[in-house]
Amino acid sequence: MSSTIKNIYIAGIGVISPLGCGLEATEQALKKNVSAIGSLTAFAVQQPPSLPVGQVQDCPDGFSPLPRTHNLAVIAAKQALENSALIPDVVILGTTTGGILTTENLLAENVQETGKYRYHGLTTVAEEVAKAVHCTGPALTVSTACSSGTVAISMAVKMLQSGKAEWVLAGGVDSLCRLTYFGFNSLQLVDPEGSKPMDANRQGMSVAEGAAILLLTTTKQKNSPVQILGCGLSCDAYHPASPHPDGKGAATAMKTAIQNSGIAVKDVDYINLHGTGTPDNDLAEAKAVHTVFPTPPPLSSIKGATGHGLAASGAIEAAIATICLNKNFLPANTGFKIPDPNCDLIPVLQPDPRQISVVLSNSFGFGGNNACLVIGKAEKHSAAIPTDKSATGKSVPLTILGKACITGAGHTKESMDKFVKLEALAGVLDQKIVSQQLPVRKIRRLKRFSRIALALAAAAKEDSGLEQAPDSVFLGSAWGALSETYNFLDKLQSSKEKFPSPIDFVGSVHNSAAGQIAIMYRATGANVTSSGGNYSFEQALLAADSFLDDTSSSAFVLAADEAHEQFSRLFDPSLTETTPLADGGGSFYLCRKAIPGKISVKLKFYQKQTENIVETLIAALDKNALRNDCAMILAGIPAADANNGEKQLDSFMQKTGLDVPVIHYRKFTGEFASASSVAAVMATHLLEEGIVKHDKKVLIVGFGINVTAMEFSRQ
Amino acid sequence: MNMNQLTEKLKIQLIEILNLTDVTPEDFDENAQLVGGDLGIDSIDVLEIVVMVEKEYGVVINNKEIAEKVFTSLATLADFIRKTSPTLSS
Repeated sequence: MSSTIKNIYIAGIGVISPLGCGLEATEQALKKNVSAIGSLTAFAVQQPPSLPVGQVQDCPDGFSPLPRTHNLAVIAAKQALENSALIPDVVILGTTTGGILTTENLLAENVQETGKYRYHGLTTVAEEVAKAVHCTGPALTVSTACSSGTVAISMAVKMLQSGKAEWVLAGGVDSLCRLTYFGFNSLQLVDPEGSKPMDANRQGMSVAEGAAILLLTTTKQKNSPVQILGCGLSCDAYHPASPHPDGKGAATAMKTAIQNSGIAVKDVDYINLHGTGTPDNDLAEAKAVHTVFPTPPPLSSIKGATGHGLAASGAIEAAIATICLNKNFLPANTGFKIPDPNCDLIPVLQPDPRQISVVLSNSFGFGGNNACLVIGKAEKHSAAIPTDKSATGKSVPLTILGKACITGAGHTKESMDKFVKLEALAGVLDQKIVSQQLPVRKIRRLKRFSRIALALAAAAKEDSGLEQAPDSVFLGSAWGALSETYNFLDKLQSSKEKFPSPIDFVGSVHNSAAGQIAIMYRATGANVTSSGGNYSFEQALLAADSFLDDTSSSAFVLAADEAHEQFSRLFDPSLTETTPLADGGGSFYLCRKAIPGKISVKLKFYQKQTENIVETLIAALDKNALRNDCAMILAGIPAADANNGEKQLDSFMQKTGLDVPVIHYRKFTGEFASASSVAAVMATHLLEEGIVKHDKKVLIVGFGINVTAMEFSRQ
Repeated sequence: MNMNQLTEKLKIQLIEILNLTDVTPEDFDENAQLVGGDLGIDSIDVLEIVVMVEKEYGVVINNKEIAEKVFTSLATLADFIRKTSPTLSS
């Protein structure tokens, strides 16, 4: 069974960074080899002098009510689509900060008006971009710390290769904010003189901001010779914040990306290093480079010029890779003076005019999240032999080997016992009960969100009865680690910005829980945290479906959210002052393999609400198939979208003529963003226990600002 | 505050900020290896201790070489604080 890998063309690029706005300005700045790292003015600090940062100088803050991150993303997206009336099928953004800078300002003024926090959620950035470019397909968000932008582009590549989309707008964005500025400094990872990657005297990074978004397509582009040739993801599964000392995970990601591209190691002409300038990261990356390349090609980190744009950095560097390929030069490692004998690498010292064909671009982040892209000229790829199994695994179902949930009622058994008796499960489970099966020492630094996620993964594995844990993790969460985020900002504010907590900072990162799962189970494969508001589980499932392209692969796929006294009601529009708080989540141990008798799950539909959304949904699900097979519908209507959602559901039932039980699952789970993951466990339970006939299907339909459908059936 | 009192106070503070729920001050051997030892204290914990020490005792530890010596054990940390704290009366 041979397969042809589809070529992924770069049809448009938008970039805004401390170097400037647009490709031309970026190219000119790189050719000057001058650092853009300078003073912070994006927000005031209480303890001057401020540390040097990479700030975008022409970000129009006062220009809209949107937070700075959203503005940067929209600017980049519009640039990428310049001169084109094209509407992308999918938007995928990597971000870690979302609207946090605006949230910080509001909290400092003790604003309690919930509407003002509507742009806090990470998902709102991709939604704003989708709105700006009129995309009604999935607007997806990945948050894997400093590799986010690269992971977003990698996911786009996978979706394009599998035919899920033809045009995808993908990239990364982050704005400067107090959380990252003080957080990285609390970890002593900031160089007070400004970042100088790979230099023997480097002392850290310079926190920065920016956005870059690529328009990617499988449609051949005559005027654009540059393609994404391949990508590779891995997880160190070693430590929440420090890289593996030998760069083991980094080397794996590089090798995987090279292999996925169908090229040889010797074909790489230039490596754009992650090179943040922190002593440990640069050393680990240098060791990884030496592991993969017997004789390393020319290489450099541009972060001495740009600073570290966090989630944006990988996307900015992908844009820069295309400049190198199209304009025939290699950017210098700005700020480098003294070679570090431990790294044993001399980077490009001056902008180097040189014709190249293939660039390897590295991105590594907290949680041991590694992602690499290979970007190159078309001729390299057409000569290559595809070694990847991407196109073949897609028809194979995602099979459920184990499941688990946590609700206000308890763990899986208590929750399902109540559910089948049609009793409510909603509530906030005592934290001691949440983590009763977890080793005390391993979770001492973890707060509620990470404990729920870790307990869910542990229980899904136990339910599978398997010795071997899966090697990948796909986690969805709307709000992430609220406790750590709150504690960090609270301590920062109450100490007049003098004593932020390093532990809280590391724990506040959206992907910290998925990183913890990886550490506990030595899960060194892809590790992706998605954030999609009320559709976060659906996004995690879509990420799993995109990245699990090999029939030997398996993953934890889960979603969770924590209830937080101060934050939940401020952020989640489905919660009013009187709504009882609820939280929890659901998890699965999935594999890409057909196993007769087992239950499989499929994401059948994910679209933004439009005028004809119900008709589009019914067409995608096939009306006749629905009538024949569907035995029950679990409907998810968030309280904030109640009127609209009920209308959508009524219309759906009427137009399909379905006469099956409909369960509004939020009436059982309570109102929390990742409740659909608990519904997914309910659906599986109904099928496994024979409550729904073995030849029938259970459909989970999400309504509201997006409409989604997940199908559960027995094989 | 004498050395013993400071040592005992630090034990309680470390147990609290590092959430060592299964450790009592009596279990805490001040001469045992602090980082990478039985308690599972790592680099992030050290930074949390650095913040606490600055906040509570006005002692700044921002030099890697000094930090390596200071964080040998709880006893060496107590000793360093006692010698350098501007707020601690001897």
